[in-house]
Amino acid sequence: MNPGMKLLLVMIIALEISFTQSLTVNIILIGVSLIYILLQRVHMKALFGLLFWPLFPALGLFVSQWLYGSAGIHFAWILFTRIYAYVFLGATFTLTSSITDLSLTLEQDFRLPAKFAYGVLAAFNLMPKITEEIRIIKTSALMRGQALHFWSPKLYFKSILSSIQWSQNLAEAMTSHGFVEDQARTHYKVIRITAMDWILFVGLLVIVQALLYFLRY
Amino acid sequence: MTDVSINHFTFHYPESDVKVLNDINLTFKSHHFSLLSGPSGSGKSTLLYFIAGLYPRFIGIDATGSIKFGDTDIKDIPRSKVSQSVAMMFQNPNQQFAMDTVIHEMTFVLENLRLEPATMDDIITRALDFCGIKQLRGRVINTLSGGEKQRVALACIVAMDPQVIVLDEPFASIDPDSRADLIDKLKILQEKHGKTIILADHDLTSYRDLIDEFYYLDPDSHHISLLDDEQAEHFFKNFESTQTINKQVPIPSGDANAIIHLSDFKLAPHGTDLLTLGNFHFYKQKTTLITGANGIGKSTLFNALTKLLPYDGTITFDGKDIKKIRPLPYAKNVTLLFQDAENQFLNITVKEEIDLSLTNRTNTDYTQEDVDDMLKQLDMDGKDDRIVYSLSEGQKKKLQIIEMLIMNPPVLLMDEPFKGLDYRSLETVVGFLNRAKSQFYQTQIVISHQLSGLDELVDYHATFKDQNLAYQEVIK
Repeated sequence: MNPGMKLLLVMIIALEISFTQSLTVNIILIGVSLIYILLQRVHMKALFGLLFWPLFPALGLFVSQWLYGSAGIHFAWILFTRIYAYVFLGATFTLTSSITDLSLTLEQDFRLPAKFAYGVLAAFNLMPKITEEIRIIKTSALMRGQALHFWSPKLYFKSILSSIQWSQNLAEAMTSHGFVEDQARTHYKVIRITAMDWILFVGLLVIVQALLYFLRY
Repeated sequence: MTDVSINHFTFHYPESDVKVLNDINLTFKSHHFSLLSGPSGSGKSTLLYFIAGLYPRFIGIDATGSIKFGDTDIKDIPRSKVSQSVAMMFQNPNQQFAMDTVIHEMTFVLENLRLEPATMDDIITRALDFCGIKQLRGRVINTLSGGEKQRVALACIVAMDPQVIVLDEPFASIDPDSRADLIDKLKILQEKHGKTIILADHDLTSYRDLIDEFYYLDPDSHHISLLDDEQAEHFFKNFESTQTINKQVPIPSGDANAIIHLSDFKLAPHGTDLLTLGNFHFYKQKTTLITGANGIGKSTLFNALTKLLPYDGTITFDGKDIKKIRPLPYAKNVTLLFQDAENQFLNITVKEEIDLSLTNRTNTDYTQEDVDDMLKQLDMDGKDDRIVYSLSEGQKKKLQIIEMLIMNPPVLLMDEPFKGLDYRSLETVVGFLNRAKSQFYQTQIVISHQLSGLDELVDYHATFKDQNLAYQEVIK
């Protein structure tokens, strides 16, 4: 499925289950997402992470609602499964779509200005450098006798300073590579939204509506 | 035929009276290889960015005078056509790509030029082939070495096929093989493909028989002059003399007085081996100079010594495995003077920076008078309220050296500490370092390309070559 459409669909469904209270639908969403992810052959380690890490907030919500809430254990289960539904819905996108394809479709089909599409992509590709930079900032601070933690303003000040510098360099590099804002570009890889994308998008959305309407428990 | 002519070109920052470029008049000839030299921070890059059409857009301050490609003022070239005239290769290999992989970046470039998608594969293949990097086509750029990245940058330029190629110290951080290879390719582009090459570099290694013109940007007058053969030769000789000193030093051995010990050590950050050492010692209260070509792995070794990079094998400090020493105590004992001074700064003003060192140091060997005296000797006094990021490169370096001397760690690693310093300041700093060694028993390990002036300082010399680090008797 077109990554832009997929992202949109996932976001709409996630928004809907925030305002509806159906345990069954949550479980169906988790199940379908899980099957989809498994069909796309993702790493077992990633899958384990998806099951493990949300456990803490989900359990927290469950316990506090169950013990202290007024809406009872059914609602506690809804909150619990909702967290997992968010995570698995999100994973159907993040684990199976490439960020490059997403920005290509956002530029070509969703008419997002190329500046944003490629700016975001470039920033995303800078992520490993940012991690490295933060390590350098922390080590350098240690050498001046200061331990910087993730809440230290100095760490943010220095990182922001570097980011400004990088974004400037990147903008210069993109310009030097012929990129001109608001200028038509050709596309080596054309990503179109196909009829199949529309059928899947509308079809899945309708099914979710129907489920939410009929399965109120 | 596209000469690049610069006419009455003057640039200065609004807050400063000093003209970075002062009434520049010159013509970079079409199909020629021109070298623009001058000390670091003298304004070479500024001129190049203007020629490449990046300034004034990205700096927001315009210059007076004009830059013309042939008869056309660069300001009259529509933005979408600039890249047909000129493309630029940057100093930092890490910040010139927007996309994740080599092939994505190259298609991005060709899409920007609005080429027919059907023609792209062919152009990309030829450009990669020309640069000898066909095998890198599908690679993720972040996993490439500096030398490989610069080759990809050149491949992008070859694919763009501009008339003029501008390069801003493109070899500053890449290995000698890549450097030689890239220079070779540039020469072919100039001679066989009629490109105009304008390259800025303060390092004059291997340009002598290659260039057609040698321009020099004088840091005092801020003028650029075209040198005749005799003058150029003088500069080449002068540069070579800063790269050599003739001093005999002893070769240390054994592990008595050793402070840092590397054993079964292997460094391979990009999957290729940079350094393999069975056994190597750095010695207490000595200054060890490490020399070797650019990009060969010297800074990477420092990164391993400061636990910034993973390595195989064992490093011990004072007999203890450094992996078992907690980060803060280790950083206070083995401290790095970063190559980029800004990496060292944590505060805003000069005074805050000095005060931070005075507050956090572990010993009080330097008195307040010592500190004031050091600042004065390096012309850094009376700058208390200056914002550190607004200092010149040379001033940043001086401040950085003083604040790290105040910290007075037992082991000080220094990565190109003399870069951007004039000769008089270098001599002063050497005096400070000698004092730290003799009075405060500091161990110093220095990476430096600048060798002249260091005779008095260096006790041992190790060369980094062929994935090996070995002590040598002579320094040159």
